Amino acid sequence: MAQEDFDVPMDTQEQEQDVDLEKIKLLPNASDDGTSASFQVIDEDHTLGNALRYIIMKNPEVEFCGYSIPHPSENKLNIRIQTYGNITAVEALHQGLDNLSELCVTIEGNFREQLEKVGTNI
Amino acid sequence: MNSAPVANGSNPGGAYNNQAARQDMEYLCADCGAKNEIRSREPIRCRECGHRIMYKKRTKRMVQFEAR
Amino acid sequence: MASSSKLPQSAYNPRRHVGVHAEWISDVSSTDYPGHYPHEDHSWDLEKFKQNLQVKVQRLSQRSIEFDLVGVDASIANAFRRILIAEVPTVAIEHVYVWNNTSVIQDEVLAHRIGLVPLNVDPSMVEWRKNAPGFEGQPNDRNTLVFRLPISCERIGGNKKNATGTQQLKNEYVKSGDLVWQPQGEQVSVFESCPPGPTNKDIVLAKLRPGQEIDMELHAIKGVGKDHAKWSPVATASYRLHPLIILNPEKPVPPHLAQKFAKCFSPGVVTVDEDGEVSIDEKNMRQDSVSREVLRHKEFEGCVQLKRIRDWFIFNVESEGPYAPERLFLESILVMRQKIATIKDAAEGLMRGEDEPVPEAAADGDVEMTET
Repeated sequence: MAQEDFDVPMDTQEQEQDVDLEKIKLLPNASDDGTSASFQVIDEDHTLGNALRYIIMKNPEVEFCGYSIPHPSENKLNIRIQTYGNITAVEALHQGLDNLSELCVTIEGNFREQLEKVGTNI
Repeated sequence: MNSAPVANGSNPGGAYNNQAARQDMEYLCADCGAKNEIRSREPIRCRECGHRIMYKKRTKRMVQFEAR
Repeated sequence: MASSSKLPQSAYNPRRHVGVHAEWISDVSSTDYPGHYPHEDHSWDLEKFKQNLQVKVQRLSQRSIEFDLVGVDASIANAFRRILIAEVPTVAIEHVYVWNNTSVIQDEVLAHRIGLVPLNVDPSMVEWRKNAPGFEGQPNDRNTLVFRLPISCERIGGNKKNATGTQQLKNEYVKSGDLVWQPQGEQVSVFESCPPGPTNKDIVLAKLRPGQEIDMELHAIKGVGKDHAKWSPVATASYRLHPLIILNPEKPVPPHLAQKFAKCFSPGVVTVDEDGEVSIDEKNMRQDSVSREVLRHKEFEGCVQLKRIRDWFIFNVESEGPYAPERLFLESILVMRQKIATIKDAAEGLMRGEDEPVPEAAADGDVEMTET
């Protein structure tokens, strides 16, 4: 049972919990054309904040990306994205999430390959 | 499985049963550990060793904690 | 430089180096962003990433794993490290119901100790208690494991003393092995192959004297380390950057000081041949502690550069609890992917708001979503 769960984790886990629209919201003061905006993510911290900031900064269309945790006792994460104007901040965010996801998949694949070489099967 | 266990009569030595049965409280001698019943207006003194300090027994009720 | 072919040549690329000096460090931040170097493309490229990425398991034992993760940014490596400690779920005892405890250890202290006992339960077999449909927070046989701890101490063979003048006591020590699992509902069949219990049966929880007894019911639930450390699946999860020691060919170490030079480094890092010529053993270089001792001695000034490789992470993960050490890192990736997927789904809502006719709709969206 554990093994099965392990192979198809994303599907099973995702279907169980409905989409939480409160998870991320657009903060006020976004520019009218949407090329610069701040987002607030609930229940996330430096773990995701810094990784997401890094991958969004790797996007050549992005002029600035930064994150902050406004107060240590509120589990909120603010992310600021400003683009050069060819894409919107929301698009940059989505691209960042996609890139981060494929990065994780790549590392996972590499790690599994390594374990096979060592002779451990998971 | 139901929710958290609740202290009730079905449980060995539920608090209410005992208290109704006998009014006298049993105490433990601080020196020798003997059981002593203490009645009102009697001197507090151990029947076995004469020691004058008594401990109250632990509650028979269930106590709940968070393991933190 | 005298090098066996243990370290790839790319390790000597100065852009990958963090400088370690006597009282400061330099070039800490990564520079692989678009626009940092003129006419160079550093935008995200999966193919390039795949080529650069290197994972290598260096050591694997029953309880721990050491592996290299090369070619990722610190923010990524750190995310996995943080997830390993704080967000990979495990099962631990959370609720303690004390029927009796006449031992000298207080109820709350004993409850705390019991909570810290690692259990051998695969967390994927247990649901989150907060997710119980319709009964949020209610215990049921899918989200709670019940243990009992009924134990009392007594003399073996009455008041007789043995040859050494001590008495034989039964249950003088209450150990984690004394926890009795009480299967609930479908748990009998679900956990048939691996009955829940502590991973280590010899953890002393309390000490008893004759006549003292403990009787408790314990409920274990699934949780994460950021809630309480008892749910952390690891004893340690840490990384360090690969050390790099570069000798200066312009200024070799004088042969009569070679031994002193070698002693400035961890054993095996510096080798001295019969002529007194020093060289670095590249295979052992990773073991160096980078203590900077060599920088304290005037006579070695300019002989050597101490560095670390910014994108070469040497992970050390010790498992405590149900996960095999090699599975832990995979679990952390899984958690990361779930995080991303959750936000991705939630952010679809933002996308829809943006697609509608530009300025007014976006402004409307703002007003609706913010509470301040």
